[in-house]
Amino acid sequence: MGNVIVVSQRPSDAGELVGLARSIGDPVIVAFQDSAERVEELLSYGYKVYRVKSSRPEVLAKAISTLYNELKPKLIVGPNTRNVKDAMAWVAGLHDIHMAPDVAGVRVEPDGIVYKRGFLSERVTMTVKAPYPAIILVNPRVAEPAPREGVGELIELNVGDTMVRVLEVKAKELSGVNLEAAEVIVGVGRGFKAKEDLSMAFELAKLLGGQVGGTRPIAADLKWLPEDAWIGISGKRVAPKLYIAIGISGAPQHMSGVSGSKVIVAVNKDKSAPIFKQADYGVVADLYKFIPALIDVLKRRRGST
Amino acid sequence: MGNIVVLVKASLNPEIVRQNPDGTFDIDYTPLKISDVDRNALEEAARLRQVFGGKVYSVTVLTWGPLRAREKDLRLAVQEALAKVADEAFVVADESIIPGDYTVTANVIAAVIKKMGLNPSLILAGEASIDESTYQIPGRVAAKLGLPYVGYVKRIREVRGDRLVVERDLEDYIEVLEVPLPAVLSVTQEVNEPRPPTLIQIRMASRKPIHMLTLKDLGLDVKRQRSILDMRVVTVSRKQVLIEEASMEKAALKLVEYLEKEGVLRF
Ligand SMILES: Cc1cc2nc3c(=O)[nH]c(=O)nc-3n(C[C@H](O)[C@H](O)[C@H](O)COP(=O)(O)OP(=O)(O)OC[C@H]3O[C@@H](n4cnc5c(N)ncnc54)[C@H](O)[C@@H]3O)c2cc1C
Repeated sequence: MGNVIVVSQRPSDAGELVGLARSIGDPVIVAFQDSAERVEELLSYGYKVYRVKSSRPEVLAKAISTLYNELKPKLIVGPNTRNVKDAMAWVAGLHDIHMAPDVAGVRVEPDGIVYKRGFLSERVTMTVKAPYPAIILVNPRVAEPAPREGVGELIELNVGDTMVRVLEVKAKELSGVNLEAAEVIVGVGRGFKAKEDLSMAFELAKLLGGQVGGTRPIAADLKWLPEDAWIGISGKRVAPKLYIAIGISGAPQHMSGVSGSKVIVAVNKDKSAPIFKQADYGVVADLYKFIPALIDVLKRRRGST
Repeated sequence: MGNIVVLVKASLNPEIVRQNPDGTFDIDYTPLKISDVDRNALEEAARLRQVFGGKVYSVTVLTWGPLRAREKDLRLAVQEALAKVADEAFVVADESIIPGDYTVTANVIAAVIKKMGLNPSLILAGEASIDESTYQIPGRVAAKLGLPYVGYVKRIREVRGDRLVVERDLEDYIEVLEVPLPAVLSVTQEVNEPRPPTLIQIRMASRKPIHMLTLKDLGLDVKRQRSILDMRVVTVSRKQVLIEEASMEKAALKLVEYLEKEGVLRF
């Protein structure tokens, strides 16, 4: 009983993870953070749900560690959130077991798990075999969601306090922009010299019926864009028909987030910028001169049709 | 208050990915470089060393071979740590743990810290390495040493006695935390703006000790868990058409024409 532990942080992550767990063995669910607040949704999969009423990764880690000793599972699966990554790293270290985040495909073999994940900012795909027990944090859409047709049993897990004290929790200002659904994205990078200058990018995006996203330094460091507009390996993964990268150098951590784009355009004043090798159309130009010209041409074109 | 240990990795460089004729990844000819975010960890150590008052040590475990061919890249990464802030560097280079394995690496790092008597009040690492990016080594090391662990630190606000106040960066919120020392922290790229070491620092670094260690020196016997079955280069096949025009209008017209042919413009 319970040879696969499923960790859920948000109820929406549970379906596919339970689906995967069912195909491997016999799941039990650990409900953490948001999922602990909404356990009814998790109980409907029909398995035991252990509730960990906390948003602290060390509390989750201790709870999983306790269950691990009790159930001796062959696999622990979970989503790729920062809290779950931190908690599972701790569990993996304590029990000396293999762990892999950002897993894009799994196959079960009698003596171990075979999985695929990106390596070197996804420029390389690595296939690995690891013995049981192992921890696998799985990307969305790797498994079919499990049906919600049962009545599970709720068990409260209390593992005590933590050494780290939370002084304050501050919500981030997010814009709610849905870049994953955008057909056209104008991407902005550090080639822009001031926040106000992004208005050019917004005007271009508007003309093309698209959205504006950016590189990590623009969103996370300079905060010229909200963080939900951050594209790349540690931000959003997007797949528009057209991606226009303006003043972006083409770092692998950024480009892996846009690799699903149909057409990539790069505007950069440095002819040797790595992005030109990863773009379909590259314009070697100063963005401050080229973008206004492009906006003009598009406006004229639109006026004449 | 005590010593600081910084974990520094010589990572495969994702900007220079080499490929074998059969499409597999040519790991042996892909160079190593210091993992970018480790520079932020080193910068943070430099910022905190006055307050901590102790020594700063860097710990590096070589995870990619062949050992002989990696000497130069490894040395460059370690020397950057020494030039930037570390007083001494500990490097584990041992054929038996190449290619790396997360369980092995964490055990080796913990063993270096314990057996070499580094006695840290703070262990700093980058949030993830630029090659494997699994975000797990700092957390594993904390578990092995029985220390608290806080990942994704975007700001170390203050040192309050034997505690740190830090900001931890989550997907949609930020936590302000008080962490008792000793502790393990992983920092993000936003924690500071790393400055390259100065020429004087680089010159001074050549006089600082580098301790080369093997598993035997550590009295450690750990088994690799994973077997890497395949590594395949993801081919990008973009058209790479360059538009270079003196006239911006001409360049814009050309681009629009291409994009209309691609069928990605709607009017
Ligand atoms: C673990 C890790 C995770 C990361 N995750 C991400 C991620 O998810 N997303 C991400 O984006 N990055 C990420 N990064 C950072 C990444 O490595 C790069 O530092 C970042 O993408 C660079 O952003 P940029 O292209 O805006 O800036 P830069 O690299 O500074 O490039 C600016 C470009 O603008 C050009 N330019 C300057 N002026 C002009 C002008 N007037 N006209 C035209 N062009 C001009 C320059 O030639 C240059 O090519 C990550 C890094 C690490 C280590």
